[in-house]
Amino acid sequence: MIRIEHLYKSFAGAQILKDITIEYSPGKCNMVIGASGSGKTVLLKTLIGLYEPDSGSIWYGDEDLAAMTYDQKKKLRQRIGMLFQASALFDFATVLENIMFPMDFCTDWSKAQKIERARFCLDRVNVKGADGKYPSELSGGMQKRVGIARAIALNPEFLFCDEPNSGLDPYTSSLIDELISEITKEYNMTTVINTHDMNSIRSIGDNIGFICDGMLLWQGSRDSLDSTSCPQLRKFLRIR
Amino acid sequence: MIKEFIESVGQYCLFLKMVFRKPEKWKIFWRQFLAESEKLILSSVLLVCVISLFIGGVLVIQIASNIENPFIDRMNVGYMLREILILEFCSTIVALILAGKMGSNISSEIGSMRITDQIDAMDMMGVNSAGFLALPKIVSATLLSPLLMLLSLAFGLLGGWVVVSLTGIIGTNQYIEGIKYCYTGFYVFYSGFKMSLFCFLISSIASFRGYYASGGSLGVGTASTKAIVTISILILLFDLVVTQLMLY
Ligand SMILES: Nc1ncnc2c1ncn2[C@@H]1O[C@H](COP(=O)(O)OP(=O)(O)OP(=O)(O)O)[C@@H](O)[C@H]1O
Ligand SMILES: [Mg+2]
Repeated sequence: MIRIEHLYKSFAGAQILKDITIEYSPGKCNMVIGASGSGKTVLLKTLIGLYEPDSGSIWYGDEDLAAMTYDQKKKLRQRIGMLFQASALFDFATVLENIMFPMDFCTDWSKAQKIERARFCLDRVNVKGADGKYPSELSGGMQKRVGIARAIALNPEFLFCDEPNSGLDPYTSSLIDELISEITKEYNMTTVINTHDMNSIRSIGDNIGFICDGMLLWQGSRDSLDSTSCPQLRKFLRIR
Repeated sequence: MIKEFIESVGQYCLFLKMVFRKPEKWKIFWRQFLAESEKLILSSVLLVCVISLFIGGVLVIQIASNIENPFIDRMNVGYMLREILILEFCSTIVALILAGKMGSNISSEIGSMRITDQIDAMDMMGVNSAGFLALPKIVSATLLSPLLMLLSLAFGLLGGWVVVSLTGIIGTNQYIEGIKYCYTGFYVFYSGFKMSLFCFLISSIASFRGYYASGGSLGVGTASTKAIVTISILILLFDLVVTQLMLY
């Protein structure tokens, strides 16, 4: 479980996140939705400690992120899988090596075990025959899927996805949604997904938080989306 | 401006502290070390050899044409060439050349990983990204660069010899004799030490600038320009300091 309390974050005087308080429970697809530039990526990066918050606290279970030492943070991060908005695959490594990278550092598996696990992850995201290719040789959608495969390589407890299906065709996009939702339930992961894709919000959003200009304006499940009275959300969803 | 300078020095020290943490896995470090040695050192061999060969040849002609006085032994041409090469050219000048090659390579590589979130992705896996990326480069450049200095010396002398034997400005025997004259082993050590120090500066500052690059591809360009300017100035500065300390 992850709890965010009164989180503020600004860049060079510009207030990006304002007083965000939210809780993410395991086994659910927690979604952060909002228009482009509303602060979703900043929220996610603050959540995992890549940005220092101005004030407020972030709790992983009963551990306070701000109070963690370097080694504790490192341990925590090994339990986190993260898909970046631009995939962030390593240019210097092939697809297979990319997925094996976290295993190289965090496990003592044999090479055969690592390859087997990597192939399994690639299979789950439906990428075939790209093992020896470099990221620059892949299409954007394939990079994304390899990014997801890398994020789930170590069976993380926490899975963060920044726009997992932007730039994918509708079919692959729904496959990815199903995959994320499936593994979330299967391994009881705490999953947080940034998105502005209507289909995925409606099909897998268990706990949805709507962010507008850095403020959390609405929170609820996908079933209560349409009955919202929040005007900004209605505008975002284009309900009249 | 001064505040900015002090801040960067502080940040640089913190960066080095991160870099010199114990590697997570020595096996991975070793693998990276070999790869970096090939990329940084081995790939510079040809450049260093060619430059040294030509400069060696040119210096011989210049020195010989400046020593017209019949009372000065022609052997001194070889002697002076050797001293110039060992004392200054093979370490400082070669390091300045390498600053451009190695420095821009390192800072643009790390910088572009920074702006495409690859470094964040590494951090997120609980990997010490600064250590993983910079440590093998720094160790490899620092430890192996004296070999480049020796190579440069050898090829510089060879270049001189080629010119001497082709043009006959002085006798080949005189040249060889000059090269052997008053040989001080300590100077070679001094030069190797300088080279090592300079390559440490090159690799660490270039890594540092790349690691904190920001602002897209323009930022990567700025980072590597900044790195090379800083490195060049520091090489000259440290050259002065080290020479004063070790030779005087
Ligand atoms: N490193 C940074 N430095 C300064 N400002 C930043 C930085 N990162 C983000 N911002 C600003 O924060 C705001 C929110 O950006 P963010 O990337 O979180 O948007 P987003 O909701 O993820 O949008 P999108 O859906 O397009 O990805 C933007 O106005 C952006 O200019
Ligand atoms: Mg974003």
